[in-house]
Amino acid sequence: MSVATLLLVDDESRILSSLRRALRREGYRILVASTPGEALRVLEAEPIDAILSDHKMPGMSGLELLEVAARARPATVRLLISGWPDAIPEERLAAIGVRAVIPKPWDDAELKRVLADALRSPAG
Amino acid sequence: MAAASESGPVRIVVAQPHAPQRLATVEALRRLGGGVHIEVVHDARACIELAGGADLVVVDRGLGGDGRAILSALRGEGPPAVVVTQEATAEAALDTFRAGAADCVTASADYDEVLPAVALEQIRHFRAATARRAVRERIESLERLHGAIIERFPAALAVVDAEGRVVAVNPAFARDFLAAGEAAEGRRLGELLPQDLLETGDLAGLAAEARAGGERAPRIARTQRNGELRAFDARAERLDGQGRTLLVLADVSEREQLKLLQRQVLQSEKMASIGQLAAGVAHEINNPMGFIHANLAQMEEYLADVQRLDERARELAERAARDGSPVVRAAGDRYAALARELDADRLLDEFEQAIRESQEGSERIRHIVQDLRAFSHRDDGQLVDADLNQCLDSTAHIVWTMMKHSVVLRKEYAQLPPLRCRPMQLEQVFMNLIVNAYQAIEQRVRAEGGTGEIVLRTALVEGGVAVQVSDDGVGIPAEHAARIFDPFFTTKEVGEGTGLGLATSFDIVRRHGGTLRACDRPGGGTTFVVFLPLAGPPAQ
Repeated sequence: MSVATLLLVDDESRILSSLRRALRREGYRILVASTPGEALRVLEAEPIDAILSDHKMPGMSGLELLEVAARARPATVRLLISGWPDAIPEERLAAIGVRAVIPKPWDDAELKRVLADALRSPAG
Repeated sequence: MAAASESGPVRIVVAQPHAPQRLATVEALRRLGGGVHIEVVHDARACIELAGGADLVVVDRGLGGDGRAILSALRGEGPPAVVVTQEATAEAALDTFRAGAADCVTASADYDEVLPAVALEQIRHFRAATARRAVRERIESLERLHGAIIERFPAALAVVDAEGRVVAVNPAFARDFLAAGEAAEGRRLGELLPQDLLETGDLAGLAAEARAGGERAPRIARTQRNGELRAFDARAERLDGQGRTLLVLADVSEREQLKLLQRQVLQSEKMASIGQLAAGVAHEINNPMGFIHANLAQMEEYLADVQRLDERARELAERAARDGSPVVRAAGDRYAALARELDADRLLDEFEQAIRESQEGSERIRHIVQDLRAFSHRDDGQLVDADLNQCLDSTAHIVWTMMKHSVVLRKEYAQLPPLRCRPMQLEQVFMNLIVNAYQAIEQRVRAEGGTGEIVLRTALVEGGVAVQVSDDGVGIPAEHAARIFDPFFTTKEVGEGTGLGLATSFDIVRRHGGTLRACDRPGGGTTFVVFLPLAGPPAQ
């Protein structure tokens, strides 16, 4: 299997850089986007194995972004990261096929495990 | 005016059938002065009719039976009757006195002097008696009025003598504090009133103060009756110089209930707005916390790498200093010197310590945010029919190991019907209350030694279920009482409590349509009372 490509989306650049550092040694190819629009452009231009998006962003929520992604690139694994995971309606998560919601603050080891699991069985 | 008048002009009725005698009488009475009204009648009927407003009646003995009828009619209530007679015999005079005459005047040469003198004396006497009777009637009517007021006064009244014995109580006192047929007179207030009422109202102090003539702001005395809290506005006042005091206990339970309700509504509004704020703040904090937390973990990892790097470098420097060429040796020495100068060992240790401490801080923030989120969670958990005794039991069980060394747990459960509620949430409330009770006891035990007692009590009350968690701990200082349900209000050490426990509990109970309040436990400590309506939470 070739190197997996991850797309990280968050309007907070420090989150992006922290996530990037956390995953530095995991051997992924990491792309970042700081707006949902930018994320959609990347998604269109590149093959992405997994997208990990913040939920609360200006303009478009992470859930909405993943909804669009699910239609455009159904094979891409969808994950959310949020400071307020309980506020995200479960039935929507299920409908859009979000594999996991990672809470902020996250645990690096847990984050790596969830990502590795998701990429090992993308369809699950 | 000649007559000594109480009020108004003097009126005299003259009942004489024969003109000459009548004329003599009128002439004689005219000598009393112009202010005297004289009315002349000829028979008993007219005389009795007019006598009602008169000060004196003059009756001719010649009227015979009519005369006697007048005398007997006026006897007692009416104006005095003076009988004039032509017969100057003692027997005639005696006869008239027996019939009820006030005096008797014989027609004689000095008739026109004797009659006015006699009339004047009788009028004075009558008017004075009338005035005395009016005063007496006024007094009696006032007494009746006061009696009726005390009888119907809605507050309990008790008059207590200088020795502290009850002299009299009113029906409201009997209604509020005495058993049917129980007498209060001669007994002490301490025997008549419930202990908790005496203590919460400091009624002994109140009475002593009043006896000494001091004034004290009224206070609210409370008593538990049939599981219901009654509040009385208690005041005492000195009644007289003999040390008697009047104790007034007005039942203000409803007013207090209303005040409590208002406070609860205010508190609820505060909660709702703070809940929203808390949720927003929690989310906002989680974003920066997200990378701070992760970065600290990364820094820890990197530091380990730097430590390895440094170890290896120093190893190499040592080897270079030992075995290397002069240039390499010099480089090794320089590295060793720099490591010494920077105190590299300590530097790395302190770096590690700084990371560890920051991690503790970030852990604490995470905790606070978690509590905040729990606080703003609105409708967690399923609505089910639950047994509150069981909820209370399982909660107490969880914390029991922590408390068992210093606390005796007593359970007084009533049979309860199943209650529609969110049991997980209520267990959180019970947990908060029990842990608070334990901490209050711990505080006291630390200062005084010994052990404490927590009483868990459930009762079926009107419209719902009451759950009480009662402790004999340090109690809540009066200055904190109004703030204990405020979010972030805490008396615990920094880092030990977020001040959200009671605020969250209050909110949960409110969402169940119930109330949560705290009151002083008689004898020290605190009782928290959760009331939950049988109807379950209101529709949202």
